Amino acid sequence: MSQLSRLVRIARTDFSYFFRTKWLMAVLISLSLSDMLVVGLVYTRLIPASNAIGSSYFQFLVPGIVVVGLFSAATDTGRRIWLALREGVVQYYLTLPIRTRGLVGAYIISGGLGGIVYSGALLIIAYLSFMLFGAPIPVQGVLYALTLIPFLFVLSTGIAGLAAFFASVSRRGEIYWVYAQALQVSMVTVSTVFYPAQTIAQYLPAPVATIAEYNPLSLAAGVLRNSAFGGNALETGALANLLATSLPLAVIGALAYWIILRTIRLKGKP
Amino acid sequence: MFAVETLSLSKRYGKTDALRGLNFTVNEGEIMVILGPNGSGKTTLLMILCTILKPTSGTAKVVGIDVVEDGTKVREVMGIAFQEARGFWRHKPSSILRFHASMFDIDPAKRQDLIERTMKDLELWESRDKMFMHLSGGQAKRLETAKVLIQKPKLAIFDEPTSQVDLRGKRKIWDKIRELRDQGSTIIVATNEVREAEYLADRVTILHQGQRVVCDTIPKLKDAIAGGDIVEVDFEDPVSEKLVGSLNGLGGDVSLSPEGNQLRAKVSKAEDWVPKMTSASYVAGAKIASIRITEPSLDDVFLHFTGKALADQP
Ligand SMILES: Nc1ncnc2c1ncn2[C@@H]1O[C@H](COP(=O)(O)OP(=O)(O)OP(=O)(O)O)[C@@H](O)[C@H]1O
Ligand SMILES: [Mg+2]
Repeated sequence: MSQLSRLVRIARTDFSYFFRTKWLMAVLISLSLSDMLVVGLVYTRLIPASNAIGSSYFQFLVPGIVVVGLFSAATDTGRRIWLALREGVVQYYLTLPIRTRGLVGAYIISGGLGGIVYSGALLIIAYLSFMLFGAPIPVQGVLYALTLIPFLFVLSTGIAGLAAFFASVSRRGEIYWVYAQALQVSMVTVSTVFYPAQTIAQYLPAPVATIAEYNPLSLAAGVLRNSAFGGNALETGALANLLATSLPLAVIGALAYWIILRTIRLKGKP
Repeated sequence: MFAVETLSLSKRYGKTDALRGLNFTVNEGEIMVILGPNGSGKTTLLMILCTILKPTSGTAKVVGIDVVEDGTKVREVMGIAFQEARGFWRHKPSSILRFHASMFDIDPAKRQDLIERTMKDLELWESRDKMFMHLSGGQAKRLETAKVLIQKPKLAIFDEPTSQVDLRGKRKIWDKIRELRDQGSTIIVATNEVREAEYLADRVTILHQGQRVVCDTIPKLKDAIAGGDIVEVDFEDPVSEKLVGSLNGLGGDVSLSPEGNQLRAKVSKAEDWVPKMTSASYVAGAKIASIRITEPSLDDVFLHFTGKALADQP
């Protein structure tokens, strides 16, 4: 068996761990659906359609929720790395005939897969709910969504990398959960997932608005709204920004995880 | 070529020297038991051999491959059952074994059959529907052993394979380890249980404070300590210091129990020593209640060498 096929197997096993954790799935799905349907529909009544949000808040929010789903699923990589460090499975992995960088790659890839599979499912639900509530979906939108898959995958590995970074620096400590929470709140809050860029620029200092604009979650939400749901041609600029902001995060995470594996080799524990 | 060879191997964790210039070899196809008290560095040595740990200095080779230079190649030929079982918490035993088998290229057509057979052999079949995290300590240890048995690596390492395992299970595991050797694997077993060593070992290495104290077959180790036999004598009444003094003059290593009526002597030949002892006792007027002659057990060997090493410390 080649290094590559071992990498794929490890990624698959780790990936399956995400779906094995039943409580996690239950929480994630109920949060995503309630955000999409309850929040979306209630707020739509409160917030009038405008240039910034388009025809309704529901249509603005739902693509954002798909991105939040991707974010949550990809950050689960951090939890899995943290568990592997705590449960000592990492040491088992280190006895398998695969290079250390293969092991690191496997985790980042499985994080990417988790994000893409979960958000893919949400996307389908989102399309269905659009149809249910009478919002039109252009046929090209679906094609654009398919084209977006590799980009969303890269975004997902970036988020996984960020989570891997926090898991690695917290080693076996409970502090990981604080980091994870802070990451979730800050990345989602300072983004255009829940509110348009104009609103942020209106109420918050300019640097925050800029961060929100280049937050990869905002970029992804924007592309989804514009193309996957709006049917407009994909903007290469936004896609390039998405890659440029996601890839470094994936690299940072891979590096942090690699360092923790090296530490285990030297000290016998993370 | 040795299956395993280490040269002045050292490992230091912060201020603890876990291994101190260890020279250690294992021949191909033998079961080498590493016997050592807690903290003697057994696990550290095994972790270095399976490339989880980097040595601080010195070298280690597995079937001629350097563990630092070419870790991935080493990992292809060896398998380890950890002292503390490690598995995916939310997987069932068979799925953990399937994953392991796939990592080591076990023929997919035979995999399922092999897994089922090994699980039955190790009495794990009844626990097949439990997740790893719900296995008992002993069941998890059996699973740890099962991984290596399925893998049939060139070098199989078992770190205290039967700690937490019940008596029947111990026997099963020991028999399986021997079977693995008979099929051509080289085996290292680390333990602090003398019985385990007695059952399994082709040779024993006694490790103490990160150093090799001695390495040989069990019969030779027994011969090596203070001649050979142990004579235990019970007297009807406590005996005098004078008698002990004169018995000490007969050769051998004599010690008296605190109550003063039980004598334990390590002597080279019981058949020479006992007649001399009985006549000396008769002269001193001490009445003998019973005499027992035993060969030294591996326990004695273990205590002898690890005790002596302790005494040698500055
Ligand atoms: N990760 C670690 N960090 C610091 N010290 C360690 C670490 N692992 C082991 N040690 C120390 O190294 C020494 C050797 O430990 P090791 O685990 O190799 O012993 P052992 O012979 O396997 O003991 P046991 O029979 O209890 O399993 C001990 O003094 C231990 O405290
Ligand atoms: Mg140990």
